[in-house]
Amino acid sequence: MKQGLLVVLSLIALTSLCDTVSQIFLKSGIDFLNFKPTLNIRKIFKFIFQLISMPRLWLGFIFSLLSLCVWLVVLSKADLNFAFSADSMHYIFIAMASKIILKERFSSMRWWGTGLIVIGIVIVSLG
Amino acid sequence: MFKKKVTVKILLLLIASDILETTIHFLFKKSALAEGGFSVVDLASAGVFLKAAFSSPFLWAGLVTVVVIFIIWSLVLSKIDLSVAVPIASFSYILVPLVSIIFLHEQITVLRWLGVFFVLAGVILVSLSSKEKMEQAK
Repeated sequence: MKQGLLVVLSLIALTSLCDTVSQIFLKSGIDFLNFKPTLNIRKIFKFIFQLISMPRLWLGFIFSLLSLCVWLVVLSKADLNFAFSADSMHYIFIAMASKIILKERFSSMRWWGTGLIVIGIVIVSLG
Repeated sequence: MFKKKVTVKILLLLIASDILETTIHFLFKKSALAEGGFSVVDLASAGVFLKAAFSSPFLWAGLVTVVVIFIIWSLVLSKIDLSVAVPIASFSYILVPLVSIIFLHEQITVLRWLGVFFVLAGVILVSLSSKEKMEQAK
């Protein structure tokens, strides 16, 4: 194993985790408002205003910012092509978080897809 | 109701999003290289590094591109389903390595390309499963 690979992979896991936390905050905020898709501009603006006045959305934003900072550190250490593929591990975290926190149910096709991503990341790391 | 019809306009928007997505990652990489040869080893050096990265115009150009992509996706997803849009937009998984080779002079082994295709196949399956889920809910 190349030296530093473990550090880089851990940092990519960290940025993916921050990204996932941010997505979960956003999604739970949107779910909480129970918004029905509409073309009514006033309703859309009201929805956006309600959304940005929620503390959890700002928590999500902070995690997004953190994710960007860690991502920049990753890019300073790793090749872009490697980092970009390995960053797909957020699909894994999002699948786990959707299952555990948001209690979403999903099909076997999603598990297969997530499994292929895991295999892909392992191969990319070996390559 | 399913929105599947990919018109030429949508296809062009998706191709644009592929290219812009690739551009974002290229710009972020350039901003990370702003402090040439600098190595982040602890929080203090991370602070110095991030200050340099955030002073780089590449980073801000990248963030503006993020906003543009967001607008494009809002347009695209109002016209077609995510399960149709994502597989077309996943072309960036191929474009990013190509840009890395051409503009950043990175080297990519055959094994790594194989890994890229696994990741790509996985991403496409995950996005297709969103359609399955919605059909069940219907």
